[in-house]
Formats: sequence, C-alpha cells, structure tokens
Amino acid sequence: MNFAHLHLLLNHFPIIGMIVGVGLFLVSFFDKNEDLRRGSYIVFVGIALLSIPAFLSGFGAQQAIQGPGVSDALINRHEGSALLSLWFVEATGVLAVIGLWQSQRLSHPSHGNVLAVLVLSLLAVGLIARTGNTGGDIRHPEIHPGEATTVVEGPLGSFISHFEPSPEKFVQLVSVNKWWWGFMMAMHFIGLILIVGTVGLLDVRIMGFMKQLPVAPLHRFLPWGLAGLGINIVTGLLAFVGQSDNYIYSGVFWLKMLSLLLLGVNAAAFYLTGIFGRVETVAAGEDAPVLARFVAATSLFLWFAVIVFGRYIQPLGSTLPRPN
Amino acid sequence: MAVPEIFNTIEQTAFSTWLRESPSFFGFYFILLIHTIGMSLVVGANAVVDLRILGVGSGLPLQPLKRLFYVMWTGLGINIASGLLLLAAYPTKSLTNLDFYVKLSFIALAAITMWKIYVQVFGDASLSEAAMIAKGKALAKWSLFFWLGAVSAGRLLSETSKYLLYGVANR
Repeated sequence: MNFAHLHLLLNHFPIIGMIVGVGLFLVSFFDKNEDLRRGSYIVFVGIALLSIPAFLSGFGAQQAIQGPGVSDALINRHEGSALLSLWFVEATGVLAVIGLWQSQRLSHPSHGNVLAVLVLSLLAVGLIARTGNTGGDIRHPEIHPGEATTVVEGPLGSFISHFEPSPEKFVQLVSVNKWWWGFMMAMHFIGLILIVGTVGLLDVRIMGFMKQLPVAPLHRFLPWGLAGLGINIVTGLLAFVGQSDNYIYSGVFWLKMLSLLLLGVNAAAFYLTGIFGRVETVAAGEDAPVLARFVAATSLFLWFAVIVFGRYIQPLGSTLPRPN
Repeated sequence: MAVPEIFNTIEQTAFSTWLRESPSFFGFYFILLIHTIGMSLVVGANAVVDLRILGVGSGLPLQPLKRLFYVMWTGLGINIASGLLLLAAYPTKSLTNLDFYVKLSFIALAAITMWKIYVQVFGDASLSEAAMIAKGKALAKWSLFFWLGAVSAGRLLSETSKYLLYGVANR
C-alpha cells in the first residue's frame, strides 16, 4: 500500500459522507425529526474527522505520482480545491459538535446552529464535489478527451477557483515566517493543555480517583477541552500544509493520526451507546460503571500516545520510504 | 557581552554530549517528552482549578479540588528536573536567550500564584465555597495569564535563540 492507494481509499469518505450527511439533515426538516437531525450531526462529526487523513494522504499521493505524463497544473488545482473544501467540512463538523452539545443540554440544537449547519454543509458538499471532480481529472483523461493536461474551467469553476488558495502561496504563508510558526506551535501546546486538563480529569474521575467529585459537573469542562481540540486540529493542519514533507514520511505522525481517529471511535462508544447517560448520574462517592471505566482508560492511554507520538515526529522524521 | 566560557566547558562534558547526541530512546527527545508531560500536569490541573474558581462547572464542589495540587507540585517537580537536564544539554542556547529568562519569570510568578491559591483559598477549611471563590477570583485570572505566558515563551525558545551551541549560531 502506498500513499496513492491510501488516498484513493480514503477520499470516498468526505465526498460520500457529506452527501449522506446533508441528505439526512435535509430530510430531518420534513418531519421535524430530532433523531434524524442528531444522526446527521453525528455523520458530520465523523466525516470531519475522517476527512483529515483523506486530506493528508493527498500530499503523499502527489509525491507518489508526480512526474512526466502527470499534469502539475491539474494537481495544483485539485490541491487548491481541497485546501478550501476541507475548512468547510471541518467547520460543519465543529458546528455539529456544538449542536450535539446543545441537544444534550437543551434537547435540541439552537435555531442559529441549525441555520449555520444548513449553510455550511451545503457549501461543503458543493466544494467537496468539486474537489472530487478535480481529483478525478488528474488521472482520468477519458472524462475530458483532448484536455488531458490543461486546466479548463466552466463558469462555476472559474468563480470558485477565485477562493481556492494557490498551494505554493499557502505553503509560503504558513511556514516562511518563523514567528507565525512559533505562534501556531504555542497555540498547539495550549490546546494540548486544555485537553489534558479537562478530558484527563473527567477520565481520571470515571476510573475511580478523586471520588469526592460528582461526574456531571466535570463533564461541563469538556467544551474547553473541545476548544483545545479545535485549536489543535487547525494548527496541526496548517503545520502539515506548511511543511508536509516533514510529516508525510514520519511513521509516528501517522500513528498519532491513527490514535486521534481511535479517540473518535472511543468518544462515539461513550456517547452513542448509552454509557454517557449512566455516567452522568454518578454522584460523589459512587463508582462509575465498568464499561465507562474501560472507555476512560482507553481515552487516557490514547491521549498519552498522541503526546508521545507528537513529540517524536521531529527525531523520527524519515521512517517511511520516499518515492525514488 | 561575550558568551561565558563555562557554557563551552559544560557542553564538552561527556554527560552533556550524551544528552544531545545519544541515539538512545532515553536521550534528548525523551527528556523533552517528560518535560511536555510535566507541563500538561502542572498547567492542566492548574487550569481546571482556575476555571472552576472563575465559574466553569459550578456544580463541582471546590474543596475536593485541593487534591489537584499534588498533581501540580508533581508536574512542577518533574519539569524542574527535566528542565535542568535540558539546560545541561544546551546551556549556551538557553542562557544567552532573553526569552528563556522571560519563561522562568512567568513560571516563578505562576508558581507563586499557585501557592497563594493553595494557602489563601484552600488553606482555610472553614471558608464557605462562595468565600473561597471570592478570595480566589483575581489570583485565578493571574494564574491563567502567567501560565499562558510561560507556555508561549517556552514554545518560542527555538525561534528566539541566537546560538545552538558555544560558537555555533542557531540555523
């Protein structure tokens, strides 16, 4: 398996996932069906997470295939489109997390949230469709006979392409100024501290330490941890785009990404299977259910792994083979 | 002002060289990892206490959070130890960098604030929770500010250092 193969596998998730998510979301308006709406929000969150490795693998795929016979112009167009659509997919995911949080506390997402998700998800699905399309153009000349290596835009394409960052300029912006880089990395550490403090304390309590604390109020700290996670996804993605070579060929970087995806699965297990419902009622002095403790231990272990892998990206920067 | 010769002497020692150049898993990056973990413990726990005093998670009883101070002192201890080792590996890089002293100042201020919260807010068991919060509000805000400064200054060390080693400029 090389990066080109991985990218071809993973790119289905953001495209088809967003279509499914938007479909469910739109249907939920007809019946005012809150369950369906929650379901669509869960899809948006899952897709926001899965779009990250899909995006990252694209850089490796580019390095695997670039050369004679492959159009750099078409690759750059696809990369620019991906750079734009990713932010909309992630923004939809963030709003969906907020909506799910509101659902839990107020029984449904706020009207403002629903409107924002509607606008962003429709934009995201449109932009990701263009990303898929421009990606296909790179290696499927049979779609546009006679235009195998040149970029030809229709009117809509020309309009959207104004908003798509030029990959070279974007990379320059992110990595050339060392103060900006330092600021991004400082924010990355602050995000990490917010996650460790809030999620860490909740997990530690669920596992049975500091039993004088009731669990439900601890859970109220979680938005700070999620804000930290949001900061880290943004700064992490920017760092990757700025210096992708430093990360693509680092085995520990991919292990860090895998750990983050597993944390997503762990969170899904916690919230979607009813474990959270039972944990919320655990009062001071009481034990959390065994399954909850297992989920909490997994969470602590995986976050620890994320920190360790993250720290070792720099020294273990070239553990995966580069294309010749 | 010339770079003190003693930094060169330290860097030439077998210990300092081992810290910098050893390919062992327990070399420089491991110490840096321990430093990161210590930072997460001391600042993470401190942040939760500060946020609670400032009103987040108000259903959480404040007094039991006193236990978190053990986590904080442990994290601080881990970082003093690992920090000294990092300093032994790169004395010139750190001690000729103004930002390093800024970082240490922020840490000192944050640690003093931590101690004040421990003594003034949590030290008197007869205080009601509302009284504890009233006493701790200003301290909690300063604590968050000082730790923000410490973490930022610490992260910017590699961008601000003039020398990598004695006689060797930084990149």
